[in-house]
Amino acid sequence: MNCTQFEEALHDLDRPGTQGFASREDALAHAESCGDCAQLLTHSESLDLALRKISQGASEAQASAHMEKLLREEFRQQWAKTEGGNQRWQSALLATAAGLLLALGFSLHYWSERQPVGKVSVSPVTAPAPDESRLSEFAMNAGDWEEAATNSQSLDSDSATDFVALPYADDSMAGEGGAIVRVVLSRQALASLGMPVTDLGSADRIPADIVVSEDGAPQAIRLVAQSDVDE
Amino acid sequence: MTDDRLLERMLAGDEEAFADLYRRKHPAIYRFALHMSGNAAMAEDVTQEVFMALIREPKRFDPQRGTLSAFLFGIARNHLRKRWEQDKRLLPMAPDMEEDDFAPAASSNGSGHKPMLTFVDELESLDTIGLVRRTISTLPEGYREVVVLCELEEMSYEEAAAALGCPVGTVRSRLHRGRAILLEKLRDAHEARSVSAVANRRGGE
Repeated sequence: MNCTQFEEALHDLDRPGTQGFASREDALAHAESCGDCAQLLTHSESLDLALRKISQGASEAQASAHMEKLLREEFRQQWAKTEGGNQRWQSALLATAAGLLLALGFSLHYWSERQPVGKVSVSPVTAPAPDESRLSEFAMNAGDWEEAATNSQSLDSDSATDFVALPYADDSMAGEGGAIVRVVLSRQALASLGMPVTDLGSADRIPADIVVSEDGAPQAIRLVAQSDVDE
Repeated sequence: MTDDRLLERMLAGDEEAFADLYRRKHPAIYRFALHMSGNAAMAEDVTQEVFMALIREPKRFDPQRGTLSAFLFGIARNHLRKRWEQDKRLLPMAPDMEEDDFAPAASSNGSGHKPMLTFVDELESLDTIGLVRRTISTLPEGYREVVVLCELEEMSYEEAAAALGCPVGTVRSRLHRGRAILLEKLRDAHEARSVSAVANRRGGE
């Protein structure tokens, strides 16, 4: 072993599991034959001794007993906070779920009250176009039509044009039941549904019956004659 | 019971598990902070902060990244650095520190003169323990950490590496360098005192 190797091994001579510890005998033998390394070894061992004394002097050192109390208190507070937070979350979730259930219940109740009186026969695609000769009869006073729309009399008994399937009507829904709803629509709305509005006179608002399927989608429309509404 | 099991129970709200964990881990953390800072009050504060962090943010500990001890030592190191930044006065062995701070306690030979001790005698003298301790605190932080962990806490290189989150080779090289610096500084201090003692003796004759 030379001096460089000795210096490398020096700090690990007493540390089991290290290369320095494994070459301890060689290092000590070298120190016996080298004055400088012998002095270095002496200094290093003295430093070890001083470090051990410092270590022993502090071996019992620890934080004050008061700190454990303080930390325990903090732990309890933190845990209570966490639990409180969890409970608040659970309450909020329950409240939201209850609200959703109530809304769903009201919706079902409302819908069940609006179920159709009977089956409606609609021929969606093949239905003939409205009789344009009768459309002129539909021009009337808007106020009268609104009154008519809210009239509770049976809609089935009104005579009117045939139902015309709406462009986006679902074929499978035809004839499967639904409701007829009388509404008053503006000329623009009727035009957007493909109804001829040029022959309806000057009235801005026109009464119509709309077939609504069970899922609430409008399926067909017909115009209501003025005389039917007047009755 | 393992640290992981105690931590698991602590996370489930078991206060006793936390207390067990605290009793098991806090002495090493406290001593590390004490040796690193040389200040008991600071060591107490740092220890408290470490365990407060464990209470408040236990999920920060990731077993995949290291042991619980390493995690706690990491927090302690961060707090020590913060404290040193906040209060530069507590920086150990600042350049303007008085030379008297290095001096060992007065000898009891009644002459008022310091005896002519050899370097080795001085190191072995109980009076010089304070000097060694202070000299350790002058080491650069990286070296000081490994000296504290490997020499004063008697950790293996592997344990120190885990605590510091660095490779074993780094711990080894830092320790060797730290010890070399330590010996050099102590030798310098010894020489300075020898010169001073000779001057005092001549002045007294």
